[in-house]
Amino acid sequence: MPNEPQIEILSYKRRKRLFQLLVLIFLIALPTMIFYTTGYRLNFDNEDSTFVTTGGMYITTDTLDVEVYVDEDKIEKPRLFRSAYYIQNIESGIHRVVVQRPGLNTWVKELPVDPRIVVEASAFNMPVEPVIRPVTKFTTTDNQPVFLMASTAVEVFSKATSTIPYLASTTIASSSLAINEEYIFVDSLFGTSSTDTRSAFGRFLDEVDRFRFATTTEIKSTTTEEIVIQRGDVRLVDRKSDVYAVWQNGIDNIPYYYCVGEKNFASTSERFGRHVAESIFGENVASTSVVFESDRVCRLEIKLNRLAQKVFFYDFFPNSSDLVVLLLEDGLYVTEIDDRAWQNTQLLYPGDDFEVIVENDIIYIKEDENYFEIVTEIET
Amino acid sequence: MDLEDKSHLLPYAQRPDFKVAKATELSGKDRRFFRFLEIVPGVAAWTTIIGIILASMYAPFFAAYFIIAFSIYWVLKTIFLSIHVRYNWKRLKHHMELDWGSLIKRFRYEQMHHLVIFPFYKESREVIEGTLQGLVEANYDRDKLIVVLAAEERAGEEAEQLALEMEKQFAGKFGHFIVTIHPDDVEGEIAGKGSNTHYALHQVKERVIDPANIDYQNILTSIFDIDTVIYPDYFNCLIWHFMTAENPYKSAFQPVPLFTNNLWEATAVARVMAMSSTFWQMIMQERPDKAATFSSHSVSFQALYEIGYGQANVVSEDSRIFWNLLVANNGEFEVVSLSYPIAMDATTASSLWGTVKNIYRQHRRWTYGVENWCYLVYHFTKNKAIPLRKRWSIAALQGEGYWSLVTNPIMLFILGWAPIFLGTREFHATVLSYELPIMVRNLLVLAMFGLVVSSIISLSLTPPRPDGHSRFKYIVMAFQWIMVPLTMIVFSAIPGLDAQTRLMFGKYMGFWVTPKREK
Repeated sequence: MPNEPQIEILSYKRRKRLFQLLVLIFLIALPTMIFYTTGYRLNFDNEDSTFVTTGGMYITTDTLDVEVYVDEDKIEKPRLFRSAYYIQNIESGIHRVVVQRPGLNTWVKELPVDPRIVVEASAFNMPVEPVIRPVTKFTTTDNQPVFLMASTAVEVFSKATSTIPYLASTTIASSSLAINEEYIFVDSLFGTSSTDTRSAFGRFLDEVDRFRFATTTEIKSTTTEEIVIQRGDVRLVDRKSDVYAVWQNGIDNIPYYYCVGEKNFASTSERFGRHVAESIFGENVASTSVVFESDRVCRLEIKLNRLAQKVFFYDFFPNSSDLVVLLLEDGLYVTEIDDRAWQNTQLLYPGDDFEVIVENDIIYIKEDENYFEIVTEIET
Repeated sequence: MDLEDKSHLLPYAQRPDFKVAKATELSGKDRRFFRFLEIVPGVAAWTTIIGIILASMYAPFFAAYFIIAFSIYWVLKTIFLSIHVRYNWKRLKHHMELDWGSLIKRFRYEQMHHLVIFPFYKESREVIEGTLQGLVEANYDRDKLIVVLAAEERAGEEAEQLALEMEKQFAGKFGHFIVTIHPDDVEGEIAGKGSNTHYALHQVKERVIDPANIDYQNILTSIFDIDTVIYPDYFNCLIWHFMTAENPYKSAFQPVPLFTNNLWEATAVARVMAMSSTFWQMIMQERPDKAATFSSHSVSFQALYEIGYGQANVVSEDSRIFWNLLVANNGEFEVVSLSYPIAMDATTASSLWGTVKNIYRQHRRWTYGVENWCYLVYHFTKNKAIPLRKRWSIAALQGEGYWSLVTNPIMLFILGWAPIFLGTREFHATVLSYELPIMVRNLLVLAMFGLVVSSIISLSLTPPRPDGHSRFKYIVMAFQWIMVPLTMIVFSAIPGLDAQTRLMFGKYMGFWVTPKREK
């Protein structure tokens, strides 16, 4: 047994040395981390290691389990949030982003990345083969849809797959079937009886105004010149043959894709495409439709890509003010308002003989006297 | 009007404002200055918090850089403090293994008496009995122990009766055992442990010390919370440190409070808070030059006598008594760390919500110790005999302590994200805006490794598992430390801000008695 305690108190000298060491670490770590977080990186690619300033990309996607590529390099890092990818260490220049998943349409965009700046984009991927949910007049007691058909040998949906199983029947056994309340609601939306056999396309053409259906849960108003549909601060306006997404508020909260950082036609054209440059710096652009700020220029409207076809119907895509549903001559499409580089447009449902209504953020289609919902929420 | 004879007091302690507790007790310029000091901590804390929010809104780049700097500082501070805890843990373990009875044989200490004061309020028989039994089992000549069970008149007949029963049960086991009844509603006092102890010290001097003609210099006074159960060698360890201290009569001796009496019965949140308090005291054990006394501690009776036994009008009396001693002794008073444990109760209640409320109130009372900063800065401007550097050093250190206690958890775990939510559009478009949360998160994860050290040390300090408790509880005890970010905000920052805001507005707090174990 010792005569004295063997462990001395931590001496002032040792504490001071430890403190000085930690101060030194602080002085080294602070500038290093500030440089890192602002985008500076050491480049070891060439013999002379140099500092490079990098930027980033922030890609949001509504679809889970997608693969994201930047310039053909797969992004392996986990998402920042469940539905967003933050991609670091991108050198300045134009980069191609691809978001894809088997069975879904691929979203592709070329975006310019600037040093110390993060460029944003929102990807969407609709199924290559449409997915629908039947809305039938009758359902079984366990809510299975029942189609009344002349022959059960006929395929009900030849262009799509159904999310739920359904029955085809030639007779009504009323005792075992129930009336579907949703069917009654949808039927009333289309405003037509089940015996109306005219095609949607035919009825569209019957109208003087081509925009027959402009139904939305948001603001809807009609003037003598145009029908408008608005969600949040974005209004859809048809003018001549085109549809525009028009920003309705001050530009403090304007979506990023309305704006560019450039102040001239050439650089804007090079980075975002000629169509973007023309929409800002073009000769016919009204001065009231472009706002100049110290660090950016914002246009207040973006023309939507209608694939050189006639537009019969348009509305906002369910739960989005960045995507628009367009009924064109050969089918129903969804297109993004973001027109940087180009606008991605994906086919939701093919055909030229059906009617569309968007109600309560659900896309309903009436085809061959059958009603169904276009499923837009893609499950993993 | 203080009619007390002051001739025996140290010169500075004879000043009428020596025992000032709040601005309203002063007049003129002194009152205005003291009031200013009461306002400073709250203003500093609120300015910091609001400043971070405003900077995040209007100068987000600056705010982001500041938050990065602060996060690095936090990681390094965690490392710094973890090293202290780990070192003290080794020393504590070593001291617990030593035979202090043998170590003190080389000293002549037969003349030394231990005066032990146990102020209590309405604590149960079980708590008091356990405490006194611990004293009986001490490895020390019990004839040299003077035990004072200090009851409160305001606690009622039942408490007085219990004290008398305890006297009957334990009186014959110690050299002296007295019960004191602190009168209710004494003008100028705050009802609580401080005033009770103050009264008990007066009483024991009159009733025991002076009649027995014991030299004040030969009495070591231990002021213990009623739930304090000493380890067997406490008095031997205390004697050893007293005998080897550079200035034994100018020293306060601080043990390590282990809040382990009821640790197995306590909820996880109570255990985390209890152990966190222990760890803080372990850190301070390794840098006593920056410490003040806390909770149960010991000091020479002579020193207490020379300052009139401390103050009966403050909430945080355990630390105030040290500042009284420091100021009265012209800065020549220090804390000597014993690195030897005493066992106390973790704050609990019969329900989880009750526990949360009790812990909150206890920590609000502890953090109201910011009143001591006002006291010492006030006297530092008056007592020029204290070296200037020491005055500045202590004032800055204590001030930073109270400021960081309140602001650091809030800045780290809440406001660290503020620039991301409140920043300008220009800021949101930058790499910095996206990298900031990642960087802060990574640094905090790094800092959380300090919790691994905490977890290991706390398990080693946990008493043996009593019957009726599952082994699974060890796992819970190991992982309970993940609650620390939450407990730092709920039980440190918010009660601290509460206390400082009250002081800032002159809403002075009273002493809230922490309930001890419930039967």
